Amino acid sequence: MAAAAPSPIKASCRTRSAFALDRALLHDLADIALTAALQSGASYADLRIGETRREYAFAKDGRLENFDERESQGFGLRVLLDGCWGFYGARRLDPHSLRDGVERALENARAVKPIQFQPIELERLPVHEAEWIMPMGVDPFEIPASEKADLLLSIIASARDHGADFCSASISAACEERFFANSLGSRIHQTRTRVAPSFQATAVDRASGRFTTRDCLTPARGAGWDYILSAGLIEEAARAGQEARAKLGAKPVAPDDYDVVIDPTNLWLTIHETIGHSTELDRVLGWEANFAGTSFVKPSMLNELRFGSELMTIVADRAQPGALATIGYDDDGATAKAAEFAIVEKGVFKNFQMALGQAHLIGLSHSNGCAYADSPTTFPIQRMPNISLMPNPQKCSFDDLISDVENGIYVVGAGSWSIDQQRDNFQFGGQLFYEIKNGKLGDLLRDGAYQGRTTQFWNSLSGLCDASAYHLDGTFTCGKAEPMQVAPVSHGSSPALFRNVRVLNTSD
Amino acid sequence: MFLSSDDAKAIADKVLAYSRADACTVQIEGGLDQSLRFARGGATTNLASAEASLRVSSHIGGRIGSCSISHFDDEALAAAVARSEEIARMLPVDPDYVAPLGPQNYGFSNRYDETTANLHLDALAGAAARVIEEGARIGVDTFGCATTARRFDAFATSAGLFAYERRSEIDLSATARNRADTWSGWAGAHQFFADRLDAEQIARVACFKGAHDATPVDLEPGVYTVVLEPEATTELAFWLMRAMEARAADEGRSFFTRPGGGGALIGEKLFDEKLTIRVDPADPLAPEAAVGFEGLPHRARDFIEKGIVTTLYRSRVWAQKTGVEAIPFPRNFVMSGGDVSIDDMVRSVRRGVLVTRFWYTNIVERKNLLLTGLTRDGNFLIENGRIVAPMRNMRFNQRLGDLFGNIKALGPTRRTWRAAGDGGAAAAPAMLVEGFNFSSKSSGI
Repeated sequence: MAAAAPSPIKASCRTRSAFALDRALLHDLADIALTAALQSGASYADLRIGETRREYAFAKDGRLENFDERESQGFGLRVLLDGCWGFYGARRLDPHSLRDGVERALENARAVKPIQFQPIELERLPVHEAEWIMPMGVDPFEIPASEKADLLLSIIASARDHGADFCSASISAACEERFFANSLGSRIHQTRTRVAPSFQATAVDRASGRFTTRDCLTPARGAGWDYILSAGLIEEAARAGQEARAKLGAKPVAPDDYDVVIDPTNLWLTIHETIGHSTELDRVLGWEANFAGTSFVKPSMLNELRFGSELMTIVADRAQPGALATIGYDDDGATAKAAEFAIVEKGVFKNFQMALGQAHLIGLSHSNGCAYADSPTTFPIQRMPNISLMPNPQKCSFDDLISDVENGIYVVGAGSWSIDQQRDNFQFGGQLFYEIKNGKLGDLLRDGAYQGRTTQFWNSLSGLCDASAYHLDGTFTCGKAEPMQVAPVSHGSSPALFRNVRVLNTSD
Repeated sequence: MFLSSDDAKAIADKVLAYSRADACTVQIEGGLDQSLRFARGGATTNLASAEASLRVSSHIGGRIGSCSISHFDDEALAAAVARSEEIARMLPVDPDYVAPLGPQNYGFSNRYDETTANLHLDALAGAAARVIEEGARIGVDTFGCATTARRFDAFATSAGLFAYERRSEIDLSATARNRADTWSGWAGAHQFFADRLDAEQIARVACFKGAHDATPVDLEPGVYTVVLEPEATTELAFWLMRAMEARAADEGRSFFTRPGGGGALIGEKLFDEKLTIRVDPADPLAPEAAVGFEGLPHRARDFIEKGIVTTLYRSRVWAQKTGVEAIPFPRNFVMSGGDVSIDDMVRSVRRGVLVTRFWYTNIVERKNLLLTGLTRDGNFLIENGRIVAPMRNMRFNQRLGDLFGNIKALGPTRRTWRAAGDGGAAAAPAMLVEGFNFSSKSSGI
């Protein structure tokens, strides 16, 4: 559990083999593009060059359906000309393409000038020359395809041997290498890797026509193959097969208001949707009003809004080992240190997440390291760092947490999810629902989902486990913006107790 | 990077020539995407991005390995072929292996226009300016996105198939919010031909809908009659179409499974007889691509005809296993309409809700197709046949079988909005339905 005291990331000594792109070429291309942009009148320019490697293996029941390796390179140049952004991205990495990119980016800046009524303003940016390499055990791209296929088929066999009629399983891996350069002199070279195991066990009762599923609870992580091997996926698949079967015969949830204990395997998504997105400044400013939405949180609520109970402290970071948004510098070139801040402290709203060009719009002097572009060829926008619920500083075990729950429900694993565009009204499903009766875990239930309103829900937080129960979860694919970009992000928490939460029966 | 058919074929032929596998397929796609966003009446972000990718799949001894790259020089192509073969040799034999398709007879999907393909960002800025000007005139804040794309897809196999399609796209969507930030309206359109996109109309509708200063009324959760505008109908029909997979139905894990587990409910009347949904590459409103997944041709076909399930989509593997025709997943569809106008629908409602569009819809239960989501950007209370007030947004939990089983009236079918870039297109009518289940209130505007 590292959220309690995220340590600053230092530029580490790299080994040349950690980077695939040629260093001299990157610097040459940056010099060509950024010099040309400034000579053409741009007041600022930045450049991202990168290579992304991906691997995806998918198996269903007895067969491997897909094994795909992907490798893509590209660049994206952003220029600021007369107060207007212009952006151009392409896949070829050679001096001619970069020079052409400068012209196209400048053309785009000129094209939007007629509707740029408020010039883009930038804060003072510090200059960094650095390299950062994510610490990793075993590189997943070095593992033979046969080993990955064997693992997937073993997961499936395990689930089917233990009660599932069907099972599908996948492993995703991604490695991002990025070189950032700007016209102020920053030159930052970074690489990080992430992996995501997944499976779904399905049990069918043909007589009744009902079927149930139980999804993998092992989270995606910024990690290597050693994480996959240590995750106990085959054993978890066996439990999933049993639990999918058990859900078929479980008692239906009786819809009512309950005290709900939420496991980190479910709570991460609630944190993501209700806190992560509601505190993004671009949404608050209306920049996402046409698609991802705005927010119920307003600038006037800084240091005023009672977001949740005293137990609620939410921190941002880019430093948690194994977390998906951990990196040395964001896509505006800001250090990870900038992204260490509290979003909510003891229940009070404290900070927005910001990218370059936003802070001054709410009277602040600088942004806080929350920019990301999902490809070198896309415009960097405000995206979440890791955002986590701090564990209870007082000692509290899971048994302690549920001990004073008379009639409650324990929710494990993320299910179907939905939230309104201002991040107020939400409804989340789960993988497993259990009764809590008189302080003890009881029977498995089926067909549950919980519904709530964001601040009402977080103000009902009345119990929280300590750091010994902290767990980091997350996703590869948080979607935002037009055109849609997807971002990896992690959220950590300990099991938490919320009072009087509306629980639905989804089969009613 | 946009490639012509000849250029794409030349690259595909090179890849196939490098191949030493039993069989090989090559998929190439790319193009130029351009977009700009605006908020509170001014530009925020923009981009132009030239994209390209090539995927080679090598088939060796009933095993398939794939490798994708973004550069198409000879060295990269040869390396990709070699790597895909290396991967294939490492994989277990596929017990349900299916060899690549040979030449196919494709229809024609008319989705490309040179004028649209050659638009630049200044044209998008012009479209955005229409919205911004209308917002300033009406006194609302405007937000939106304008996109244009020029894309191609090519697919070749060592069995002699070569398919190539191209498309041009443009979309404009706009949100208008009142200056008190207490109400919003939306309009949008997506077209393959720029001359069919009416930016003025989008600007007018979004701003008209957003220009309400009255405090929105709260409705108690419950069951209501709703008038769904075409965008809202499309969103619901999308989830229905997505569920129409043969394998899931055959295996007993679908809404479309026959009770007792006896296979798929093809030929059964599951919906109101007013419901017909079809896919057609030649449809003038929302043409499906001619080339579907796995290189399968899209044919004009009903998926639901007068409430009867007539087709489920089926992969080539599942088709081989079950001895039934393979049918590609429908990315585009057309829902047949009627002749009742939205005004007439509203006039027929004693108490209900007019819904502009939905947001964050998601299936809660696959067996009963229970869908959740929220209304967004233009929700109005109807009383005694008249729109009487803007209405705060609501969450719904609604079984799609019940909804599409109880259609009271349909309007004319209209092309609806989807984000440009993915080639998707749909058309649907406004729809009057009873018994729509709003489960809770939302303060989200």
